[in-house]
Order: sequence, then C-alpha cells, then structure tokens
Amino acid sequence: MIIEVNEFKRTYTTYKGWVSRKKETVTAVNGISFAVEKGTIFGLLGQNGAGKTTTIKTLITLLAPTSGTCKVLGYDTFRQAKQIRPRINFIFGGELGVYRRLSARDNLAYFSNLYHVPPSVAKARIEDALDLVGLTDKADILCETFSKGMLQRLQIARGLVNDPEILFCDEPTVGLDPLGARMLRDVLKVLRGRGKTIMLTTHYMPEADELCDTIALIDGGVIVAMDTPSMLKNDGESLDDAYVRLVGKKEG
Amino acid sequence: MQFLRVIWDTLRLQMKNSFVRPMFRFCLIINPVANTILIYEMFRNSGHDNFGTFVILGAGLMALWGCICFSSAGDINRERWSGTLSMIYTAPAGFQVIILGKILGNTLLSLLTLLISFVTARVLYGAFFYLPSPFLTLFSLFCAVVCFIVFSTLIAYLLTLSRKTTLYMNLIEIPIVLLCGFVIPISFLPPWIHPLSYILPPTWAVRLLRLSIQQTGNAEFFATLAILTLITALYGAASLLLYKVIDKQIRKSATLEVF
Repeated sequence: MIIEVNEFKRTYTTYKGWVSRKKETVTAVNGISFAVEKGTIFGLLGQNGAGKTTTIKTLITLLAPTSGTCKVLGYDTFRQAKQIRPRINFIFGGELGVYRRLSARDNLAYFSNLYHVPPSVAKARIEDALDLVGLTDKADILCETFSKGMLQRLQIARGLVNDPEILFCDEPTVGLDPLGARMLRDVLKVLRGRGKTIMLTTHYMPEADELCDTIALIDGGVIVAMDTPSMLKNDGESLDDAYVRLVGKKEG
Repeated sequence: MQFLRVIWDTLRLQMKNSFVRPMFRFCLIINPVANTILIYEMFRNSGHDNFGTFVILGAGLMALWGCICFSSAGDINRERWSGTLSMIYTAPAGFQVIILGKILGNTLLSLLTLLISFVTARVLYGAFFYLPSPFLTLFSLFCAVVCFIVFSTLIAYLLTLSRKTTLYMNLIEIPIVLLCGFVIPISFLPPWIHPLSYILPPTWAVRLLRLSIQQTGNAEFFATLAILTLITALYGAASLLLYKVIDKQIRKSATLEVF
C-alpha cells in the first residue's frame, strides 16, 4: 500500500483570554484508518469541516498527527517528511498558491527548482504541463492578470512539475469552469494510466463517481463508509443519493 | 549546486517581488532620504569632525534595517496570504534554504539605502564623506550584512510560529534602532538597558562600522570584530537549533497557515 493511515486522530487546541486562559480543543479527525493502493484514485468525501483537508495536510507532511500513524510511500509523514516530499505534490482548490507577480512559466520554473528538477528536464516538463492545462499562449503573462480559472489551471500545472508518484488534490475543481473541470479529470485519468496514485477530495459527486476507484465517506472526523463507488450505491441510486443516505442519515 | 540554484532563483524572485511593492519602495527610497535630513539636522551642531559620515551611515543603516524588517519578517505573512507558504515549507529544497535566499535578496537590495543616504547628504548639504580606511569600512559593512542576515533569519523563523506577524514586525523596528545604537550611541541609554543592547548582534555591527570610520586604535576594532563574530555565530547556531524545534512545533500547533 502506498498510503497507510492507522487510527489517525488530529485535534486543534486554541487558547482564549489573557488572565484566565481557557483551552479549547476541537477534534477534526477522530481515529480514521484506510489504505490506498498504488496506481489508483482514492476519494475522500464529506461535509465542510468533516476532516478531509486535515487528513490531506497531514499526509503531505504539513501537519502532525495528534495520535495514530500516517505513512506515505512507507515513510512516517511526521518523522520522515524529507523522504516523502520530493516524491509527492499537491493541488489545493481556489486561486491561491502561485506568485502573482511572476508569469506562469516563471512560477513553474521556480517551483521546478524548489523540487530540484534539473533545468533541462524542467524546460520540457513545463511546456508539457502548460500545454496540458491550456495555458501555453498565456505562459509569459503576469499571473496577476489571470482569471480565477486560469490561476487554478496553473496550480494544477504546478502540482505536476516534479512528476509526483502521488498527487494530493483538495477540492481541485473549485472555481473551475466546466471545461477546466473536464480538463482536470482528464489529467487525473492520464496520471492514473501512468501508474500515479491520486488522493482526491471533492464535493462534486459525479466527479468522484467518474474518477475514484475507492471512496471513503468521512463525517465528523470518522469514516462512515468506504468502498468502490458501485458498492456504495444501492440499485438505481446515484452517488449523490448514496452520500445523502450515508452521511445525511448521520447528520439528521 | 542545487543549493546555489535555489538561493540564486529565490534571491532574484525576492528582489523582483519586493521592488514592485510600494511599501518596500518607500522604505528603500523615501526612508533613507527622510532619515538623512532629520539626522543631519540633529547632528549639525555636534562639533564632530566627520559627522557627515556618521549621518550617512546612521540614516542608511536605519533604512536598511527598516527594509529588512518589513520585508524579511513580513514575507512570512505575504507568503501566508498568497497561499504559497505551505508550498515553500514542504518543498524539497528546504524552508531554511528558501528563507536564506529571500533574506539575501532583501538585504542586498536594501543596501541601496546607504547609497541613497550618501546622495541625499551630498546633494542637499554638500556633506563630506571621509573614510580613513575604505578597506576596513567595506569589510565592516560586509560583517554587518552577514550579521543582519543571521539576525533576520532568526526573526523570520520565530514569526512562522505566530499569526501576529505584522504586529511584531512593527514592534521590533524602532526598538532595535534605539537599542543597537544605529543613530544615537547606546551610552546615551540608561545603564540598565545596556545588557539588552549587548546581546543584540546589530549593536556590534554598528559599533564596528563606527570604529572603521574613526581613527581609533586597531585593538578596539578587532575586539569588537571578535565579539561580533562570536555573537553572530551564536545567533546562527541558535537559528539552526530553533528551526528544528519550530519545524516540529509548526506541524503540531498548525500555525503555518492561520491568519
């Protein structure tokens, strides 16, 4: 298994007040376990605040687990982050995550450098990535003039600069127009075809149904169901219906 | 080689990004002009033979520190707001290397403040800039730059832990100018404050620069150089140790992306 999560729990602690400080602890993820097979797309679906982003941020070595273990490529995400980082990449939804006063090409060149991609390899890879996300003709324009969708496309290209073995995508189609969302889905399918592993969070059920080999439904920090999309659905049911049945039941 | 490429690319990116910000241009160009005029008027009747040189260095260093403070410290916040902090933090190049490149870029660009102070004093007042030993002054300036880089690195690391970056960078600018004697010698400060001044590396960098333009004996210059080297090395070592602690703490407390 390329990703292994075992009894993973993550809490956030905040303090309020100056004189009598009050400690508040919120549990974002409460002891979840799952494993992801190499070369598959694993979907993590759930309501806002269900714990999806916390899980992804822990797996990309940005957060420490409060308890339990998270392993990526066989390495512990907290103690062995250095071994993991060159071999993974991530795409967050939204229009952040690029330097707006640089051109798209300069952004990709800079991030390639940060991932130690040799310049000769980076040049060809950047052209491929720009072509893949349809930004070739805008490659030398400053990103501050880009639309939200174009910034999002650039984020996708940025996630590919190191040819990652695992790509983590946290709501990557948020803000993308239908063509952009289709482009991303096609990119993810191509990557899976090349043996890459993808972990995806999304609120868009048809997207998850189309792409994911396995889906875990997470709610209130716990996994309420995990199976293939076809097994999660009852006869004649859409994934949307199955989601409402499995998560909505608990919410209600 | 990879390390140098990352430093060079980050340094260039930083210079480009910093210079397009109006606040940075204000600190880089307007600040040294204003500082030079104010300090020149303050010291005009000091009776010192070479006071023009002191004014230029004092005003230039003050503006240099302002640029470093508002860019190196503020950069953490800017990266946070642009959503790139998590990306550079997890990049295989290493957060430490990227921060070093940023601080180098800021500091090298900020050295322009010394030139602007000189031009202002020369054009407005016809001030005389006399360096008894240009080599010693250049060497002292190099030491001061290294000292500022190390000191800024420590501050930048500390600010990754906090969401109140803007508040802290505003809080440290003027106290450091006063405590480290950028313009007024620390002997003018109350004695109980002196220990605080002595543990701050810029105090020794400023003193070394001053000594290089005073015709004092070599003994005092080299003693100051030795203290500056030692204290800068200690801050450098502290930065390395602190980063190890902060690296874990950031991921435990999840402060990297909070505003």
